[in-house]
Amino acid sequence: MSDSKRDDATLMRLVAQAHTDAFTELYERYNRLVFSVALAIVGDKETAAEVTLDVFVRLWQRAGTYRPEQARVSTWLTAITRHHAIDILRRERSQPEANETNWDRLLLPSSATNHELEEDVALSLQRERVRSALAQLPEEQQQVLLLAYFKGYSQQQIAEALKQPLGTIKTRIRLAMQKLRQTLQEERPSPDKSERTPAAYYKDENKRGT
Amino acid sequence: MSPETHVIESLPAYALSCLDEAEAQQIAEHLVGCAVCRKELAAFQAVADQLALLAPAAAPPPDLQDELMARVRSLSAMNRIPPQRARRPFRQSLRPAWGIAMLLLILALVVTNLLLWQRVNRLEVLTGPQGLRAITLSGTEAAPQASGFVIMSADGQNGALVVDAMPQLEPEQQYQLWLVRDGQHTSGGLFPVDESGYRGVRITAPESLLEYTAVLITIEPAEGSPSPTGTPIMEGSLHNS
Repeated sequence: MSDSKRDDATLMRLVAQAHTDAFTELYERYNRLVFSVALAIVGDKETAAEVTLDVFVRLWQRAGTYRPEQARVSTWLTAITRHHAIDILRRERSQPEANETNWDRLLLPSSATNHELEEDVALSLQRERVRSALAQLPEEQQQVLLLAYFKGYSQQQIAEALKQPLGTIKTRIRLAMQKLRQTLQEERPSPDKSERTPAAYYKDENKRGT
Repeated sequence: MSPETHVIESLPAYALSCLDEAEAQQIAEHLVGCAVCRKELAAFQAVADQLALLAPAAAPPPDLQDELMARVRSLSAMNRIPPQRARRPFRQSLRPAWGIAMLLLILALVVTNLLLWQRVNRLEVLTGPQGLRAITLSGTEAAPQASGFVIMSADGQNGALVVDAMPQLEPEQQYQLWLVRDGQHTSGGLFPVDESGYRGVRITAPESLLEYTAVLITIEPAEGSPSPTGTPIMEGSLHNS
């Protein structure tokens, strides 16, 4: 993050005190990230916009509950976004399908689009690390991770969608996450003071449905 | 705890929220008492969180910001109580007089700008008009997102519990409030939550709430338990620390 900009924790403290300028700054900093995650999950721009609106309203309402030692603001926001979007998706969904998402778009290296150029540099670098780490996984492991994360499928639903045994899916998810963890830890540039703690955030959107 | 009782192999799926309900509940209950697995979960959760960055970059409609700020101004006008919360019916098994009084207590707290929802992270006892006391509660590691508070009258004879973002329960389960004193637990009532995890209820207690030192909320069978048996979900001290 630029030194000339206020850091996220400061902005969150100000938002908790009802400073709309700080809230505006956070919105400008993260609206594209939130919208992107929402759109990747729900698939249509109108619903993604509603999700984005709801997420930032929640930020405004719950800024006082944010704990910087538990997670970055970006992580906090994307977690809320994901769970909110998946809730919507599950309500609207009947049968899981494996081919609902354009997986190729998710796995392409980032090009210097205008949106990404406007992003925080650290966020862009992190995005590249994650994409690179995911690309190192076997395709079948990538697929199950993306179905779980972006479509909110349970392991059972993934097994049904891919017509694979449940045990196979469980193994793929476990191996994929273990490999990602190893790769991302090896590539981490510096100690992350905001590494997530166990008593973390927002599993309230975890209204899991199978 | 011996290695075979850990649930580490299930933690990646738990971090992705792709376990079925029953297994997820088992994992959650295990995590309450296992620091090893909690540490592992934190690491896997950090990985899961980064998957968000795979989403292709996109921008919301330009007018969304105006719509957002209009809503924020509206919320500010209500002293940061969200409109949907104000519309929620406050279901309660109360005598009508106390029901009205409790609503007035909550409104009084809003008016005096005690900002309860902004402080749910920290154990605080806030005092408002007429000696009304509002005590914020904290979600346990089984439900870190849960929040709530207890409001009580100055003499402790009347009290109400408001919770939000509580985990959904199975049909055969209910939340049970416990009033704690000297290691003893007295039931303060059973309650379900709505689809958003919200509930407001009157606290039933054999004595003044001032006689108790803490509150605890656990998951119990639908008919309740004589003492806590299930996963602790929320807790708080009833006195200033």
